[in-house]
Amino acid sequence: MSFKLVWQLSIRNILRHRRRNLMLFAAIAVAVTGVSSMNTLIRGMQYGMMDTAVENMTGHIKIHAPGYRDDPNIQKGFALDEDFEPPVPAEDMLGWAARIRIPAVIMSERETRGVQIVGVDPSAEAISFIGDVPIEGDGLESTDDGRILIGRELAIQLETEVGRRIVVITQGIDGRNREKGYRIVGTYDAEGTALEKMYVFTGLSSLQGLLDSEDVTEVSIRLVDEPKRLTFKQLLVGFFSELAVMDWLELEPMAAAMFIFADSVIYIWFALMMSALTFGLINTLITSVMERVKELGMVRALGMPKRMVLIQVVVESTIIMAVGVVIGLIGGYLVFLTIEDGINLGAFAEGMEMAGIASVLVPVLRWDDFILVAWLSLLLGILASLYPAWRAVKVQPLEAMRR
Amino acid sequence: MKYRLIVLLSLVFAATGLRAEIDVVDLVTRSIDQTRGLSSYAEMTMVVKRPTWERTSSLIGWTRGREDALIRFTAPARDAGNALLKQGEKMWTFNPKINRNIRLPNSMMSQSWAGSDFSYNDLSRSDKWLRHYELTLTNTEAEDGHEIYTIEAIPYEDAPVVWGKEEMVIRDDYVLIALTYYDQEMVPVKQMKSLEIGELGGRMMATRMRMLELEEPDQYTELVYQEIDFDVELEDRMFTVFALKSAR
Repeated sequence: MSFKLVWQLSIRNILRHRRRNLMLFAAIAVAVTGVSSMNTLIRGMQYGMMDTAVENMTGHIKIHAPGYRDDPNIQKGFALDEDFEPPVPAEDMLGWAARIRIPAVIMSERETRGVQIVGVDPSAEAISFIGDVPIEGDGLESTDDGRILIGRELAIQLETEVGRRIVVITQGIDGRNREKGYRIVGTYDAEGTALEKMYVFTGLSSLQGLLDSEDVTEVSIRLVDEPKRLTFKQLLVGFFSELAVMDWLELEPMAAAMFIFADSVIYIWFALMMSALTFGLINTLITSVMERVKELGMVRALGMPKRMVLIQVVVESTIIMAVGVVIGLIGGYLVFLTIEDGINLGAFAEGMEMAGIASVLVPVLRWDDFILVAWLSLLLGILASLYPAWRAVKVQPLEAMRR
Repeated sequence: MKYRLIVLLSLVFAATGLRAEIDVVDLVTRSIDQTRGLSSYAEMTMVVKRPTWERTSSLIGWTRGREDALIRFTAPARDAGNALLKQGEKMWTFNPKINRNIRLPNSMMSQSWAGSDFSYNDLSRSDKWLRHYELTLTNTEAEDGHEIYTIEAIPYEDAPVVWGKEEMVIRDDYVLIALTYYDQEMVPVKQMKSLEIGELGGRMMATRMRMLELEEPDQYTELVYQEIDFDVELEDRMFTVFALKSAR
């Protein structure tokens, strides 16, 4: 019986001050909308960072020879069987690619730059950024293609263009230098000039020919489900017992740190927005308790236990919070729908690139973030009601009725 | 009938004789070797001219065969002691201020040497680079009793050469008169010209050369040979990394 009574009292109390409580709902709703839509943006940034890191030639899991990362060159390569397939079930894998990636010097008539030359099988590179960037001129045709694909920014720096020849110097399998003239087949326009300046691409077999080696320096695997990486990593460690198997978090420690940091940012953001709000809520609840001192004294005199008074205030606060949160989450979802296609940060592109963030920020909606916001808000609602409730409990029936 | 055959034969011989006379590969190789000999010792001054300043330095250099060379600055005092050693394809520089030999990475070979308009590549030029080019004789003219040949060197498709073509002007006594580097749009970028030609160390050679950046008009480097001796006795230790540092 008593809980139903408490419920009714709470509802009535809320309805008694419609204007005041509407303002409170609005405040909570705005804060929750802000928090939840901000969460989608933070998640978007986080996943964008991961995708950038993964597409930047890394993949979710990568296999190197031990020592390659300290001293990347073809001598730190490894051989793959002709018909090699990674031991990951095909349905769990977006794709895989074997590559040679080694430092090189690239020269035009007027400039010299240090780059990474990447020997690729163009048909396998859908898993990395080079698979879907716009290309001026042509792309590489096959693994035997002896031409070179360079970044647009690099072409500008070298003062060269599609169809011209450039010279590449790198180190062969015997440690001696190899020099070769390459004709530029095309220039690619990657997201961010950092990539354009860093990577040049040519056919894998053709590069192996130049280096006098049959080896590759890396196998990169892109999974369908990122969280499954640990399982497959374990599998691959067993398969490539003599090689180093790493996932992207180990390969891109900075991106990984930012990725983990983004998880905390969600809480920090929540704390900032909601704590300001909480004081507003406490204030309102205290006011409403002080207004009702007479009534509270009366119900106490009629025999309502202290516990019930306390619960009543808490329930009142929780209801206010719950209504606000529901409106807020709906608002957050609506905001998400309006920005679903992404926000163009083109104006700040350069700074963003430095942090490895894509220049179009596409928000990501995760329901567990919404649920988290909801629960934390309700918890906060209860906590916020404790002090007003304590004030309500402290009311002495006799004193209250004499007022 | 017999007479006709003789005429025909002599014509054929004349034609082949003419072709043999202008063996371009031989011509270019000899011209490269002209200032080298089996070994050599040379004293030079180098003038680096820039729009706002000019610097003159003195150098001494030794070469042995096509592979080894050592060049050392002797003046001004600021640069004295700076040296460059070449062993085949490898190069080292030495700076007395830091007392260190530094092996030049290949990436630096196209960079400027000692702030001049010569790149390390220009210094290390040997007959090896010939295999990357298709050489053709494009022009022959007579001047002051000399035949002057213009030879065009076009790099092969996958040759490690950035230039569109190089054009050499060589006199029939193997003196290189001019060498022009063209970019791939066939615009001349760099040019080396022989300003004075004379006999030095018993050989006919360019005694004053100028390397010009054609895109920057008021900028060039001149190299003047004061003295050169060919086929001198040189110790083996001369062209070692140790000798580079110990400054003998």
